[in-house]
Amino acid sequence: MEREKLESLIIDYIDGKLTDSDRQSLELQLARDPEAFKLYEQLREVMSAMDKSTAIEPSVRLRASFEHALAEEMRQLPAGRQVFFSPIFYRAAAAIALVVSGIAAGYWISTQQRQNDELVALRKEMESTKQLMQSMLSNEGSASQRLQGVNVALRVTHADDEVVNALVRTMNQDPNSNVRLAALEALATFQAEPAVRKALIASLSTQTDPVVQIALIQLLVRLKEKSVIKDLERMVEDERNLKAVKDEASSGILKLS
Amino acid sequence: MTDEQLMEAVKNGDLQQASLLFDRYHKRLFNYLVRMTVDRDLAEDLTQNVFVRMLRYRASYKQGLKFQSWIYQVARNVFSDHYQANRNRKKEVMDIEQLGERLADANESRHVEEQEQLLHRAMARLSDEHRELLVLTRFQHLKYEEVATLLDTTVANIKVKVHRAIGKLREHYFELEKI
Repeated sequence: MEREKLESLIIDYIDGKLTDSDRQSLELQLARDPEAFKLYEQLREVMSAMDKSTAIEPSVRLRASFEHALAEEMRQLPAGRQVFFSPIFYRAAAAIALVVSGIAAGYWISTQQRQNDELVALRKEMESTKQLMQSMLSNEGSASQRLQGVNVALRVTHADDEVVNALVRTMNQDPNSNVRLAALEALATFQAEPAVRKALIASLSTQTDPVVQIALIQLLVRLKEKSVIKDLERMVEDERNLKAVKDEASSGILKLS
Repeated sequence: MTDEQLMEAVKNGDLQQASLLFDRYHKRLFNYLVRMTVDRDLAEDLTQNVFVRMLRYRASYKQGLKFQSWIYQVARNVFSDHYQANRNRKKEVMDIEQLGERLADANESRHVEEQEQLLHRAMARLSDEHRELLVLTRFQHLKYEEVATLLDTTVANIKVKVHRAIGKLREHYFELEKI
């Protein structure tokens, strides 16, 4: 019998795939022909080695990097935080800034005409910007209006309590996750203010939106805010948190401690 | 939920479902790639690439397609892309003497048994085609039908090739055993 054909028969025999008659005739041949029997023994050993070969475990690094890639991809969803960095957003932001400065300048000129007092006018401009922001941030507008409101907040050079409170409220309560993220980004620009830091830390234990949670952890780690380690540990243990959030919290703990 | 339902959800923007698909498939794909590359670290990187592609090209998943076939196809592409880009590195990766070390888990310092080492060394001597056929059918236990679909050929052809591959493996295995 041709060797390749014999080999194939033996493999099927070991796999238990031969018909009764083929099996009987092969067994007869194996009993008579020592060469064929040797071939059978060798094939059986090799095939059993493959069967017994244990699966190789990947390291934990694989899961961590997948979770990271997933979080990254989620962030880039059309409704994700990319809105804050995309060129179209810059264009929109520039347009809004232009409108806002137009309004503010109008305000400024009219008040100057009336009172001729630059300081008062500036204060009013500030006030108007804040009011604009406040009204835009109120939940009555659309998500994109509220996003613009957050952007207006970025024009305020010095964050007073009112601005901070409005942004914190938005970050914690706005129904739209993009708006919450944008509020968080805006707050980050006022990170030097103690009140802002306090609000960020407090928000860590109340946030439930994974995207905001991750962004918040990253921000606090960037600010080297060691006091949040306890909160991060709680987050790692909290079953309700997504795996990606827990991983971010773990890596935050590592970086901070 | 079935793999296919999960992938449909991912395709429709519910990316969180990708975690479940990762849970179900990462070990299998890692084992496929580690046996193809004989390099743990590289196999982890390539497995990661498979899932990144799954997320990035989720729109290309066609409804009704068996997810397992699709993801193995992605894994095969990742593997062949890697070797096309690093063709001259292949020889170095396939350094037979280092196989045991490359496959042993550095953390657990798992003792790779003699027989298993011999098996890996014999596997490394096979052609890519033969090695892949054995990995898919004998290590990953894919059905001949699935492998035939994956490699775009007939079941009969797969069976003949798998048997030839086992024959070749036997030759290398017992040649190496003599050394």
